[in-house]
Order: sequence, then structure tokens, then C-alpha cells
Amino acid sequence: MAVEAFGLTKRFGNFTAVDHVDLSIREGEIFGLLGPNGAGKTTLVRMLTTLMRPTEGTAKVGGYDILREPDEVRKAIGLVAEKLILYPRLNAVENLMFFGRLYGMEGEELRRKVDELIEMVRLEGFKDFPIGGYSSGMRQRLNIVRALLHDPRILFLDEPTAMLDPQSIRFVRDLIKDLRKGGRTIILTTHIMEEAEELSDRVGIIDHGRILVVDTPEGLKSKLGVSNLLEVFLELTGRDLRDRAENRIPIRAVGRM
Amino acid sequence: MGFKRIAYVTMVMAHKDLLDFWKAKMLVVAFTLFPIVMMAIFGYMFPSITSANPYAGKFSSPYGRLPIAIVNEDGGRAGEEIADRFAQLASSTGLFEVRDFASLEAAKERMTEGKLKGVLVIPQGFTESLSSGRQAILTIIVDDTNPQAASSIFGQASSLVRIISEGVAASRISGLGAGADPMALLEPIGLERRPFVRGSATTFQFLAPGFMALTVTLGTLSGLAATISREKEQGTLDGIMVSPVPRYTVVVSKVLAQTVRGMIQSFIILAVSMLFFGVRVYGSPLLMVLTMFLAVLSFSGIGIIITAISGEQETAMTSLMLINMPMTFLSNVVFPIEQLPWWLQVVGKSLPLYYSADALRKIIVLNAQIHHIAPDLIVLALYSLLTLSAAIPIFVRSVSR
Ligand SMILES: Nc1ncnc2c1ncn2[C@@H]1O[C@H](COP(=O)(O)OP(=O)(O)OP(=O)(O)O)[C@@H](O)[C@H]1O
Ligand SMILES: [Mg+2]
Repeated sequence: MAVEAFGLTKRFGNFTAVDHVDLSIREGEIFGLLGPNGAGKTTLVRMLTTLMRPTEGTAKVGGYDILREPDEVRKAIGLVAEKLILYPRLNAVENLMFFGRLYGMEGEELRRKVDELIEMVRLEGFKDFPIGGYSSGMRQRLNIVRALLHDPRILFLDEPTAMLDPQSIRFVRDLIKDLRKGGRTIILTTHIMEEAEELSDRVGIIDHGRILVVDTPEGLKSKLGVSNLLEVFLELTGRDLRDRAENRIPIRAVGRM
Repeated sequence: MGFKRIAYVTMVMAHKDLLDFWKAKMLVVAFTLFPIVMMAIFGYMFPSITSANPYAGKFSSPYGRLPIAIVNEDGGRAGEEIADRFAQLASSTGLFEVRDFASLEAAKERMTEGKLKGVLVIPQGFTESLSSGRQAILTIIVDDTNPQAASSIFGQASSLVRIISEGVAASRISGLGAGADPMALLEPIGLERRPFVRGSATTFQFLAPGFMALTVTLGTLSGLAATISREKEQGTLDGIMVSPVPRYTVVVSKVLAQTVRGMIQSFIILAVSMLFFGVRVYGSPLLMVLTMFLAVLSFSGIGIIITAISGEQETAMTSLMLINMPMTFLSNVVFPIEQLPWWLQVVGKSLPLYYSADALRKIIVLNAQIHHIAPDLIVLALYSLLTLSAAIPIFVRSVSR
């Protein structure tokens, strides 16, 4: 298993964002984590990527325990977070070189890898410009390959196509399909149903911090007797808007957004 | 993970911080201008007496020419002469700007408005006292709202009066004939004051080291708070935290980058002080570097703790103001700490700036060697050690909440 969670829980004060999640994600699959706003997707990903300590429970990622062997987990994973992990004043090469060095890469090897990745997302012509001047699409393409510098076996992508134009969405989705080559496991969060349906081998639907169901997109549709994943989703998570009292989060958390 | 790798990733992160800083051109401009503007202001606020003045080194006023009034209530010849002589001395020493006032009431009125700093009164019967051989007394009323300025005005006025008084006495004695040495009669034992410091020490010479320490400290605190909270908010900190580098190296690298920035700024200050304000360095530059390094380090822990607790940038910056303001005024940089009530002295002496300013001043002005400033350096080192060892776990916890 690429990822195994055992009763993974995160509470903020007395609000439970992720509630005893048990989850198994297989090696080499693309796993779609689907859930409405505030469902707990990002919180779950942050715990699995060692950025946040769970309140309860634990998980194994790439065969390593996130609490006891966090550095081994970190070497095995790549993360495309909700926010860009790029320094706006630095150019593409400087950004990638910096993160590459954190993974112990150096010299010619690093240079070659950086050039290769920049070409992969067709940014050769822009590599010397500060990325603050890039369009959202260009930035996100670079942001995705930033997570690939050390060839991670497991890749987490938190809403990778949010705020992109159709051309960029197409490019990014094709890129994600490409990235599974060589047996890489991909965990993708989204609330765009067609994206989950197009990319995922299996999807897990999460709401109020709980995993409601895990199955293939086809399996889910036939089980509930509906024609598309959006109907499955609304059937399971309800049709009400997601404004809840609990969403009045404390101001301290604002820095996180 | 080996020491070499840890040192390497720390350098990589510090280098990135400096590169990121260097790329923000406007920031670099402001960063360079800040110490220059600061020193220019302080330099002109506390001018040195130039050598064109015959009284150079003998009289100096940290306040420049202060407006004072002469009120002559006497009406006699001697009163008139004293008033003229005082005005003349005041202008040749550059100490006071003298204005004549007809009545004490009018002068007091102006002083209340803050337009005058003192009033010299030549009382009624002054000429008579003088000519009848009694001691004639002049009175000076000073604006007490600034006690430091007030005592300095009194001191300077006294020295001018002494010169006039000696002159009067000397002419009287020589009037006695007998070829006596008037100075020998007047002052059988003379006391000449020689400056402790070589060359002509100026007030600014004493102030510049303090401002160096202050600027570096303020720069470090706001720089650390800004870069840490910006990385947290923009999300790049996650990129570092998700890579296999020890958490504490992030803190160490930030401190390192800030130290480099702080040292650059402090040397800009020193250069400006030396080039434009005649400050001379008598001590070892190497010792200065060491002191500046400890000055930055001693505040890094505090900066990190405040940033970690604050969570986001504006809160962090505002919380820092809470420390910055008192520190500026309590740490013996702008005002002598002896002027403060005892409990404020305790507060001032519990801030590391007091020690870095003190050590730097001793190096620059007194050519202090390492054993002279060892107590200061030890306090700074202990401060650094204690605050940083508290700051690192607080920082690590704050980013994995
Ligand atoms: N640091 C925090 N402090 C307090 N509450 C938090 C914090 N982080 C997340 N939450 C809350 O936990 C819940 C889950 O948030 P999370 O970001 O994981 O949701 P999500 O599924 O990623 O939503 P979205 O689709 O909007 O990205 C939300 O209600 C959120 O307000
Ligand atoms: Mg999210």
C-alpha cells in the first residue's frame, strides 16, 4: 500500500476537521479525494505529508510512519499544495535549484533535472523571468514540476486545477496522467467531478471529516443508479450549502489561507 | 544526517533568503537608505563643534545654538557691559543665540511658549554691588521641561560667566599695580580639563555606536518577522517543511541571512558616521564585527518567538512595536540610562541592546580590548543561547499545528 491511514483525526479546538479516517491507497493508482468545501481534504493531505501533526491516529506513507519516520516519508513524497510553493521574486531556475538542493541534489545532475522539468511544462522561454510575472497557468505548471525534482514515488496534488483556464486545465490533466508512468501513486483532491472521473482509478468521498465511501467511479454510479459522479456526490453529501457555524474559524488560522 | 549536510542546507536556505531580498530592488534601496537617513538626522541633531571655532573642544552643546534671553534690570554701566560681553561670548562659542528682552515677564511668556530655553537676569543693583566690592549675582532661569538640556544650559552659562568674572577680577588686580600675576591670585590651584579620548570627542562620537546597535536590532527584528510570516502566508514554508531538512535549520538559516543583512546595515551606518560626522574608530574592526554578530543573534530568538506566536505578518509587526519603542528609549542609546527611575533602568538593562550598545561604544570610542567588554559579550551570548533555544521548539510547533 502506498498510503494507509489508521484512525487519523485532527481537531482544531473542539471542532473536528478530520474524524477517524481509515484509508488505503494502492501503489500506482490515481486516487481522487472528493469532498465539498471544508470537508477536510487539505487537512488530511497536510497530515499525510507530515506538515501537520494528527490529534489522534497515525498513517503510513510509502511504508513509513508519518510520526516516527517523517524524514523517510518526506523523501518518498512530492506535494503540490493549495498555495503555490514558489518564490515570486525568483525565476524558474532559481526556484527549482533551491528546492532541488534541499533534497540533496547538486551540480550537473541538478541542472539537468531542472532543465528537463522546465522543458516538460514548456517554460524554456520564460525560465529567467521572476515567476511573479507569470500567468496563473504558467505558475501552476512550474509549481507541479517543483514537486517532481527528487522523483517521488508518491505525489499529492491538492486541487491542482483550481483557478486555471480550460487550456491549462487540459495541460495539467494530461500531465497528471503522464506522471503515473513508472508506477507512481497519485493522490488528488478536487471538487470537480469530471476531473475526478477522468483521472481517478478510485475515488474516496469525504465530508465533515469522514470518508463516506471508496470505490471506482463506475462502481459508485451503478451502486446508486445515477448517470454521473456529480449526482453520486450530491446524493451522498446532500444538496445544502456548506455554511456551518463551525466554519467561523479562529483568526489564528487565517495565516494558513 | 551529517553535520556537513546540515550546514549545507542551512547555507542554501540563507542564500535563498538573501537572493530573494536582493531581487526586491525597492526593498534594497529602502534598506540602504534607512541607516543613512537615520544617521543624517541624528548627526545633525547632535552636531560636533568644528575646529574653526576658537573654543573648539572647550565648549560643546549637544543641542546646538539655544535661544536664551538677557533681561537687564540693572540700568548701570557694569550691567550693560556684562550683557554685551555675554552676548559676544555666546555667539563666538556657538552656545547660545541671545535676544534682549525689556522685562522678565515678557521673557517668561516666550519661554512658556517654548521659544526660549533660558533667561539670564541682570538684577537691579548689579552695578552697585560690583563697584562696592561685594559679589554681584546674576540669575539664570532655565526651561526645566527637559532636565538634561536644562542642566547643560546652566553649566554652559556658568562657564561663560566665569570667563567674564575672571576678566573683571584680573583687571581689578592689575589695577592694584604691584606687578602681581592676576591668575595666581585668583586661582592658586588651576584645574585644566583634558579629554579622556584622543582628538576632539564630539557628542556624536558617543552616540553613533549606540545608533549602530539600535538600527541593526530594529532591522533584525522586523526582518525576521517579515520573512518568516511571509513564507508562512505565501505557502513556500510548506515546500521547505515537506522536504527532508531538519526543522531547526530553517530557523538557523533565517537568523544567518538576517545577520548578514544586519552587518551590512551597521557598516553603512559606520561609514556615514565616519565620512560625514567625523566619527573615528579607535578600536578593532574585528571586535566590532563580533559584537554586531552577537547583537543580531541576541535579538533573533525574541523575533522568532513573537512571529511564531503572532501567526501572521501584521500582528507580528504590531507586536514588535511593543518592544521596539521602549527599547529605543530605555537602552542607553538615545538617553543616558542614569536619567531613568530605577525600575526603568532595570527594564533597560534587561534588554540585550543595552549591552551591545555599551560594548560597541567602548570599542569605537575607547579602543576597548576583548577583556574590557567580556561581561557585555557574555551577557549577549547567554541571551542568544537562551532565547534561541526557546525559539526553535516554539517555531517548530507553530508550523506543524
Ligand atoms: N488551522 C486551522 N484552524 C482552525 N480550523 C481549521 C484550520 N484548518 C482548517 N480548519 C477547518 O477545518 C475544516 C476543514 O478544512 P480543510 O481546509 O481541510 O477543507 P478542504 O476540504 O480542503 O476545503 P476546500 O475545498 O475549501 O479546500 C474547515 O472547516 C476549516 O475551516
Ligand atoms: Mg482544501
